[in-house]
Amino acid sequence: MPGPTVSYRNLLVVAAFIFLLPIWARLVPGSALHFDIVNLMVLAGIYAFAVIGLNLLVGYAGQVSLGHAAFFGIGAYTTAILCTRFAWFPTWLGVLFGALLAGVAGLLIGIPVLRLKGNYLAIATLAFGEISYIFFRQSGITGGTVGITRIPPFSMFGFSFDSDLRFFFLVWICVMVLMLLTINIIQSRVGRALRALHSSEVAADAMGVNTGRYKTKAFVLSAVFAGLGGALFAHFQRYINPESFMLTISILFLTMVVIGGMGNIWGALVGAISLTFLPEVIRALPQWIPGLPEGLANFNNYVLVLYGLLLMVFMIFMPQGMTVGLARGVSYGEMQAKRLKDRIRARKFSRGE
Amino acid sequence: MNLNLKENTTERNRVLWGTVAFVALLIALTVSIKGSTGLQWILSGLTVGSIYSLVAIGFSIIYASTRVINFAQGEFSMLGGLLLYSLCTKAGLPVPVGFLLAVIIVTLIGAGFERTAIHHLRGQSVITMIIVTIGFSIFLRAIALWSWGSNPLPIASFSGDKSVRFLGASLVPQNLWVFGFTAVMVILVFLFFNRTLVGKGMRAAAANPDAASMVGVSTSMSSLIAWALAAAIGAAAGIIIAPITMPSYGIGTMLGLKGFTAAVLGGLGNAPGAVVGGLVLGVLEKVAGGALPQGYSGYTDALAFLILILVLLLRPQGLLGKPEGIKV
Amino acid sequence: MKDNPVLEINEVTKLFGGLAALKDVSLSVYPGEIKAIIGPNGAGKTTLFDVLTGIYRPSSGSVFFRKKDIIGLRPDQITCMGIIRTFQTIRLFEGMTVLENTMVGCQCRTGSGFFANGIRSRKARNEEKQIQQEALEVLKSVGLETRAYETGTSLPYGQQRMLELTRALASRPEILLLDEPAAGLNPYETNELSQFLFGLRERGLTLLVVEHDMGLVMDISDEIVVLDYGEVIARGEPETVQNDPRVIEAYLGVEVEDNA
Repeated sequence: MPGPTVSYRNLLVVAAFIFLLPIWARLVPGSALHFDIVNLMVLAGIYAFAVIGLNLLVGYAGQVSLGHAAFFGIGAYTTAILCTRFAWFPTWLGVLFGALLAGVAGLLIGIPVLRLKGNYLAIATLAFGEISYIFFRQSGITGGTVGITRIPPFSMFGFSFDSDLRFFFLVWICVMVLMLLTINIIQSRVGRALRALHSSEVAADAMGVNTGRYKTKAFVLSAVFAGLGGALFAHFQRYINPESFMLTISILFLTMVVIGGMGNIWGALVGAISLTFLPEVIRALPQWIPGLPEGLANFNNYVLVLYGLLLMVFMIFMPQGMTVGLARGVSYGEMQAKRLKDRIRARKFSRGE
Repeated sequence: MNLNLKENTTERNRVLWGTVAFVALLIALTVSIKGSTGLQWILSGLTVGSIYSLVAIGFSIIYASTRVINFAQGEFSMLGGLLLYSLCTKAGLPVPVGFLLAVIIVTLIGAGFERTAIHHLRGQSVITMIIVTIGFSIFLRAIALWSWGSNPLPIASFSGDKSVRFLGASLVPQNLWVFGFTAVMVILVFLFFNRTLVGKGMRAAAANPDAASMVGVSTSMSSLIAWALAAAIGAAAGIIIAPITMPSYGIGTMLGLKGFTAAVLGGLGNAPGAVVGGLVLGVLEKVAGGALPQGYSGYTDALAFLILILVLLLRPQGLLGKPEGIKV
Repeated sequence: MKDNPVLEINEVTKLFGGLAALKDVSLSVYPGEIKAIIGPNGAGKTTLFDVLTGIYRPSSGSVFFRKKDIIGLRPDQITCMGIIRTFQTIRLFEGMTVLENTMVGCQCRTGSGFFANGIRSRKARNEEKQIQQEALEVLKSVGLETRAYETGTSLPYGQQRMLELTRALASRPEILLLDEPAAGLNPYETNELSQFLFGLRERGLTLLVVEHDMGLVMDISDEIVVLDYGEVIARGEPETVQNDPRVIEAYLGVEVEDNA
């Protein structure tokens, strides 16, 4: 069985690549790209928190959630409220509380709701997400529709993370740690238990897997990760309003999991990064390609059209997502190349060379 | 594996009459405490409830035939309303013509989606189906935004705006259109599924696809018809309520969610359940909205979702549905 | 020996709505015994297994495993006590290798959770090593270790059945509940299965087998219990049951002596 060292090596390679990103991003003149790579990567990293947890829950444990923006929001609002109400409140503690509260919410919601399956589970989590959103929008503590502003920047041991670059390293170091933890979990008996219950809950029960507890723990873990991301989000943007925690965000997270590739933890990073950059790339296209017709030049018109199309097309042609789909594409290509080689060899042989 | 059918029907009847009694009690209480204002709430609750019922019927038809939850159902209604605007208010076509044209267009869109996406993805995992219909809803909403802009569009009422007094509350004629249309639709859907061969065939295909195909019922055709019907009914519903709601690209979302709640409340896949669920939800919403103190009226939306979660946890088959058995 | 049954089933009744799937079913299984349960389709055999493994709670009656009441326990708890069950239709874990499938069988004996495994604590690493070793040993004992890294569901049917059994063995059962282990096997494979089951008995296991394949049943059983419409209609040694007129009547229209 391939040991964990293989995935660790991959993780190191990816980490190195990402940490060097600000350097080679500087090589491209910012004005040419029309978007800020480092800034977008911070956002992608923040989303990755939620997506990694969701990938574990949906891809490995097989439980669908359409309400994870709620946990993201709980993390964000907790730290925002604590740090704005009490000026002395340390931001790192706020983030911790945010993640914890999100975890508690995950426990309270998860225990009853995880008894449901498939479509019904998706709908129940969607309902929870909507209730949370309405609460964010209506309640006084959360600042209602205006939200919370003047959130202090994240700081630890006197060091303040108030620039994009500093936040970039903070976020991505944390993402790598989360990836490490998740990879370890997946390659352990816990991961096997989750995959087993995904495949057949009844058979997993029969093999001694306490499926109820495993599902709940995976759900809570994914809620904690999402809460962590949300809390960092609050300190990055320095203001939050309910619009950042709507159903569309829950859908975005799930989309990142599915398009990135389920059943493969790298899918979380692939999905988070590509779906954060894609709209910006499309938005920048008209400025790279001069002479586009009026209707297409104004990106805002059609970004959502393309998003919807992307989802449908992906599900029809590559439902397993990019990492799995590309891996299969690569092995398919290898197989075709081998066949071609064999055919050439056979022809040479028959010609008597 | 509940084979005692007689027990099932008596239980369902009990639930049905219990619900009727509960709603009657609620209505009586509201009217006696709040008088004609209360009656106004009830009537507007029944209006909005009828709309939910129509959306819910669409969900139920598709779920019953294909076990797919169509996240784009609300968008069918949205398109119906917007198309009516373009055809009648802008292009000046008479309402019946515009109605027919809009319904046909949306039906074709629904059928087109079924043939390209749903048919192709038969038997795929739940999450694939969820994402593909979500993608479809995002796509339709974005096209609507692109084509019609973001402002709500005014549409003239079908029979004018002279309100009618009814026991101290007032109704506009459009409300009557909504009630009438809903009643007609419910009867037609019931007749279709219970008295026509096609309808009965679709029910058979949903209950047991293999057996159905052995007697010549095509599951593929069944799915196509279900989607076409749901699109048509959704579009028609959107048209009927257009003068009241002022359609825009975004109304499909809440409509879909509420309609879906109504469907689950009444029992997914159950047409009479969709109606009961819709009306109950509508009345509960309006009464709660009226009864809640000023600053809390925004929470009425949360009521629907709370009901949704409670139904799923406590009685997933809804008020009138049959429990889906566990197979081991 | 005779008064220490491994499994005691006392007057178990299971009602679904108004229908009695099981009615006053009583039987005891003794250590080292191979007992078979037969009966026409729909007789309640699988339902009995479901009750024994905690999937259903009986409407009345009791079940004791080594004198302990197991009614109301969760399926995974019952498994970890030593009652392991296989299914009528193969339920291998998809997307997992032969080895991984077997390793799941070792769940009961290990306990490191999300946190310990997340940080790869010493306990977690040791348990993982232990699980892998035990799983490989079990695979070796049945001859499947050569296919350890292949996907479980890519194996030929007969070997998939064997894998399911192997996975069950990895859980270190005291008593195995086998639900139609010969389903889909050809006569050669069925014969191999017989030998395998005898071998299990020699290792100290007790077997309760639901089967339709009468050849296998006659071959291996110490005692046969016959269910029909949820009730026990006959029990005894193979030859006795074979000639019992009530049994023959229950199977009317189905061959009793040849492979079903």
